[in-house]
Amino acid sequence: MVPIFTLKLNHKINPRMVAVGKFDGVHPCLTAATQAGKVFIHNPHDRGQRPATHRLSQSTQDSDISLLNINQAVTCLTAGTLGPNTTGDTLLVGSQTNLLAYDVHDNTDVFYRDVTDGANAIVLGKLGDISSPLAIIGGNCALQGFDYEGNDHFWTVTGDNVRSLALFDFTGDGKNELLVGSEDFDIRVFKEDQLVSELNENETVTSLCHMHGSRFGYALANGTVGVYDRTARYWRIKSKNHAMSIHAFDLNADGVVELITGWSNGKIDARSDRTGEVIFKDNFSSSVAGVVEGDYRLDGQVQLICTSIEGEVRGYLPASKDLKGNLMDSNAEQDRIRELSQRRQNLLLELRNYEENAKGVSQTNSGMGVIPANTQLQTTLSVRAATEAQKAHVELSISTPNETIIRAVLIFAEGIFEGESHVVHPSVQNLSGCVRVPIIPPKDIPVDLHIKAFVGGRTSTQFHVFEITRQLPRFSMYEVTEDSPAAPAGTVSFSINERPQRVVMWLNQNFLLPEVVESPNVTFHSLRGGGLMSFHMASNGQITLTTDDIDLAGDLVQSLASFLAMEDLSVEADFPSYFEELRTTLTEVDEFHSVHQKLTADMADHSNYIRNMLVQAEDARLMADMKTMKKRYRELFDLNRDLINEYTIRSNNHNALLARLKSVNQAIQRAGRLRVGKPKNQVIAACRDAIKSNNINALFRIMRAGTASS
Amino acid sequence: MELHLHRLDYTQVGVTSQKTMRLLPALGKKSTQKVAIADHDGVVTCFGMKKGEAVPVFKTLPGAKVARMDLGGAEGTPQEKIFVCSGSQVRGFTKKGKQFLTFEANLTESINALHVSGADLFVCASYIYNHYCDCKDQDYFLSGDKINDITCVSSEKLPHLIPVLACQDRVLRVLQGSELSYDIEVPGPPSVLELFNKDGGEEVLYGTTDGKIGLVQIGDCDAATKWEIGNEKRKGGILCIDTYDIIGDGVNDILVGRDDGTVEVYGFDSSREPTLRFEHVLTESVTSIQGGCVGKESYDEVLTATYTGWVTGLTSEPQRAEAVQGDEVRLSKETQSKIEALSAELEQLQVKVLQGREQYQQSSQSSTAVSAVPVFSINDKFTLCQDDASYSLTLEVPTAIDNLLLQSDVPIDLLDVDKNSAVVSFSECDSQQPNGNFLLATYRCQANTTRLELKVRSIEGQYGTLQAYITPRLQPKTCQVRQYQIKPLSLHQRTHSIDPDRPMNQLSLVGQFSFAEIHSWVVFCLPEVPEKTPAGESVTFYFHNTFLGTQIEATYCKGEGTFKSDNISTISILRDVLSKEATKKKINLNISYDINDDSVSHTLRMIHPKLEYQLLLAKKVQLIDALKELQVHEGNADFLIPEYRSILDESANLLEEYKKQPAHLDRLYGMITDLLIDKFKFKGKNVRTKVSSMLQILDHYDLNSLLDFFSEP
Repeated sequence: MVPIFTLKLNHKINPRMVAVGKFDGVHPCLTAATQAGKVFIHNPHDRGQRPATHRLSQSTQDSDISLLNINQAVTCLTAGTLGPNTTGDTLLVGSQTNLLAYDVHDNTDVFYRDVTDGANAIVLGKLGDISSPLAIIGGNCALQGFDYEGNDHFWTVTGDNVRSLALFDFTGDGKNELLVGSEDFDIRVFKEDQLVSELNENETVTSLCHMHGSRFGYALANGTVGVYDRTARYWRIKSKNHAMSIHAFDLNADGVVELITGWSNGKIDARSDRTGEVIFKDNFSSSVAGVVEGDYRLDGQVQLICTSIEGEVRGYLPASKDLKGNLMDSNAEQDRIRELSQRRQNLLLELRNYEENAKGVSQTNSGMGVIPANTQLQTTLSVRAATEAQKAHVELSISTPNETIIRAVLIFAEGIFEGESHVVHPSVQNLSGCVRVPIIPPKDIPVDLHIKAFVGGRTSTQFHVFEITRQLPRFSMYEVTEDSPAAPAGTVSFSINERPQRVVMWLNQNFLLPEVVESPNVTFHSLRGGGLMSFHMASNGQITLTTDDIDLAGDLVQSLASFLAMEDLSVEADFPSYFEELRTTLTEVDEFHSVHQKLTADMADHSNYIRNMLVQAEDARLMADMKTMKKRYRELFDLNRDLINEYTIRSNNHNALLARLKSVNQAIQRAGRLRVGKPKNQVIAACRDAIKSNNINALFRIMRAGTASS
Repeated sequence: MELHLHRLDYTQVGVTSQKTMRLLPALGKKSTQKVAIADHDGVVTCFGMKKGEAVPVFKTLPGAKVARMDLGGAEGTPQEKIFVCSGSQVRGFTKKGKQFLTFEANLTESINALHVSGADLFVCASYIYNHYCDCKDQDYFLSGDKINDITCVSSEKLPHLIPVLACQDRVLRVLQGSELSYDIEVPGPPSVLELFNKDGGEEVLYGTTDGKIGLVQIGDCDAATKWEIGNEKRKGGILCIDTYDIIGDGVNDILVGRDDGTVEVYGFDSSREPTLRFEHVLTESVTSIQGGCVGKESYDEVLTATYTGWVTGLTSEPQRAEAVQGDEVRLSKETQSKIEALSAELEQLQVKVLQGREQYQQSSQSSTAVSAVPVFSINDKFTLCQDDASYSLTLEVPTAIDNLLLQSDVPIDLLDVDKNSAVVSFSECDSQQPNGNFLLATYRCQANTTRLELKVRSIEGQYGTLQAYITPRLQPKTCQVRQYQIKPLSLHQRTHSIDPDRPMNQLSLVGQFSFAEIHSWVVFCLPEVPEKTPAGESVTFYFHNTFLGTQIEATYCKGEGTFKSDNISTISILRDVLSKEATKKKINLNISYDINDDSVSHTLRMIHPKLEYQLLLAKKVQLIDALKELQVHEGNADFLIPEYRSILDESANLLEEYKKQPAHLDRLYGMITDLLIDKFKFKGKNVRTKVSSMLQILDHYDLNSLLDFFSEP
């Protein structure tokens, strides 16, 4: 299968910022963000020369392309129907500070809004029961939805910076839910502002796309691409390249969409939504920028349109019927025979292994790595406190029961090592039958450790590979302590209707305990921060958690609630030191805001100066007054330097402001995480209102008690 | 005329070595030919294709691994007798499978190359060449380096057969009786030889392990090179060559199989120059290639055998259009029955394997039983690539690879290879621990990966071992370790001559050491030196540095050795390593050196064009993005000065060039730094403090100021 059209646009395309919009209601135009804060619109159908006014200007290189000046680095872009009475699609362009809704056809701004949290991702469509379509942007920990008038109808917070968004009916209730992929490796599902599901992944979620029904595709920053059906993962694959863009398209015309992935090495592949099997692939010479679809030839057929960052565009039509879904240049029969033969070969080799093994070998051939047949590996996990030589860690010890040695240990696990694996390879002098692997999980997540140990003799060149899987419990970096000299000030308390035994069971499953505990009253020592955390359950079901770490408290509450299958849980909490920090942050936000306004005003002044000075300098030149001209230009140069300095100050100020805003958003998220279900949403909504009305005392009251009124 | 060939898989045997599959001569004009193939299990199989199915003519019992196959027969009769060698034994079979010859060559090493012509039998084992006539010893020759292949030329002008040996030290050795007649230098280590004209003649085709092909005409006392095909695209090394007129223009074409799975057909244009006419990539090494007619009569095809024993045809028969009935794709009858037979066989095997597994499990209960899984075969190659001065490591196993662990006790860089789809992950190497790991990396392979290609960049002077632990997806799971030496002068390559006019530094050794001892030290220091101690009293080897182009001349004999190089760092490394090695053996060495101060500026001048080019390239590449932005902003690039416009015009080329040589500049800087340190080390000064001021000069590079800096006392 070959592309039915290819274009070279001569403009670079920013990755993930590509859309197709029918701006006049009829003709689809490929729209993408390019360098220098511009957006280009490729309109091959309507070649009329339009006057260059407002933002839009005709490209001098190519008459099919119009350029839109944004004057800021574009961070996201989409096109679609926003307003009720517009002829065509509205173009939405987001940057780190603003969101622009633009009517390309009429060449006017629909609205232009400041968005303090930035816009990393954008999606357009209907959400839940909100009647008008919303342009939903995801920024630093925050989500915001605007209607065609630029009013924000939707606001909520999420755990970390948002990187990807998708709108579709996840729950199957006929209304769209919002899927949010963020930098804390989570995919969260929002039913309006209520969090209904949370899917944990092991890297930043960079793309999300709806496939069909409740099925959706996702891509991670580490090169993983996969498909979920609701909360169950169907398949995933990992490549050494990065997935730049994913899109659902029925390329083989079998009535079911495939997941089309554009990779950083320029590869495009289409994978079956059920199995992940590749049914089609093609290659660009440079990284793929975006994959979209549209009827670009205006012949009633929708094409898959792939773009590369160098501006190459290819369109593919769905396969015709007689190809039978066989898009690759291959012979199915031959492949089948080859596959069967390969399997036969594998079985024959395995059989030969058993036969040769049964025959027995001369003990002299030590290279083969002969080991006693009853060799079994012992693995133990234990918590080790920090010593002078080593940081605190969880120790995995692997040992053989006899004189055999362990040549090397490979541990494959997700999310706890820098790469996906960790290797221990002792030098020849240090070979022994026991290997201790220090593990320091950076987050409190349960992890499966896939251990491969190479066991053999000292001089072997071939080793037996023992494959063992061990689970690291969620809270493994906590050590039980007896004494509690100074109890932490932060507390969380709530009551449950459960027997203490169930809670004890939860403790035993989720902590790495040296021996099974019997009572639900335990004190732990955190190996990461060094603070204490104690867990206490009274006979009336009242549970008290004391710790200074609000994140840990949240994790504990969430873990316990899901273990006990509690749907709602309201909690009273107090974290004096954290709240104090938050109070300072909030005042800082105000300060930075006022500085920001002052700087913006200064900038306007300066640009007036520049204009004046330039005119004066040019006047002087025309009048051949070289001395004055030089002077003016020198002044201009000084002014330029000042402007650059000011810019640095402004950008520092802006970054500091962003960091503070992010931590405020995170604080709301954290307060939410201490609760479960409805109380959680109430807390988030109430906090948001408190911030809007700038009522800081109410904010803290809500965070403590869970409601505003008390 | 364009060539279209379609792939058809015929059958699979065990793992095969290079050149172990041949086509028997056709009986009639139009009939299909039979295929003879031998594998590592020692089985010789002969089969023909009937209705798309492989029908065996005969199959021998398993035995020792077969290393080579050739066809022979009495002069004037069809060459249809099959000769195979395994160990030091040569066996002969008729085309019906009757064994008519068993010949024990009584060599200490196993035979790895074989040529049969009438009653003459030529065999080669590592360094030894032997000629037998009617199984009686005739001639004997000891080669200076490993022999990879042998063929014989004959012509009316020549009275008898002339054997030609392909030797690892980049020469073809032409023999006369037991004597070396002359040798021919070729551009890479030759791995395969084939007669250009099958009926004889004096023209010999050779293929090299670094992927080059050439044609030489063997004369009485000298040879002439006809043509050479380079390897710009960095394809794999050549494993097999055949000639056959597959294009059908009346001229024999050259069929080539490479170790990266590439199959190529070269045709000849009117000017008799070879041009690439067809290319197909199989997933594994192509060990044998033949042109002929196997699948269907009167359709020519290229027949290949791969490492894992697949016999695959690339046929000129047009692909059958799949018959469509209703909506279903109907499988052709032949394939259907084939699939059924295979499935049935699979089921039986499955049962057997389950029994095996159970037994294996049971044995783990016993306290006396041992578990010993047979060693699986690995086809590996670790070679220096001349054009980017890095090592390429290829690994191939008969089943899919699960994962690969790379461990190194020297600092090396792993480079990304496009063809390699495995997910790599680097593990932290704690330099504090006493385990001495500098690199720990795992490659988790995608399904069905049987071949892995990696690239490794070494630093001269840092030496040690790179180990690869390969785990295939095969129960019971085992892994095998392979070791590769990173030598102290790892970036050097053997040559046969050096430029005598360069200013040279000399290092001389005198001491109580034997010829074998000093040879082993040279083997330890430099790549591509034969492990066997050379014959004679003394020996001279020449090398050149693939990165900088500097050279070494090494001459040594018992008790004495001199090493000359125009690069002072090379001399410094040699001194350090040699004295260390000698100390290990408790041999007292008297080391003296003669440093030529001109050599430093000479080396700097050699580096100069490379450095200047790289600096300019880096500068241009840095500008590309900014210039493009300006272009977009202003609408065109007419206002730019011509220099910038040309950067914009060439941006694609520049970027590609830049991508091709990652960290090139850093490597050059490193070598210049070494040069500075080594220069003063020989004067007994430590100049580490000066390095930073030298780096400053490099930042604003100018040859003269750098030369001045180096000549400062």
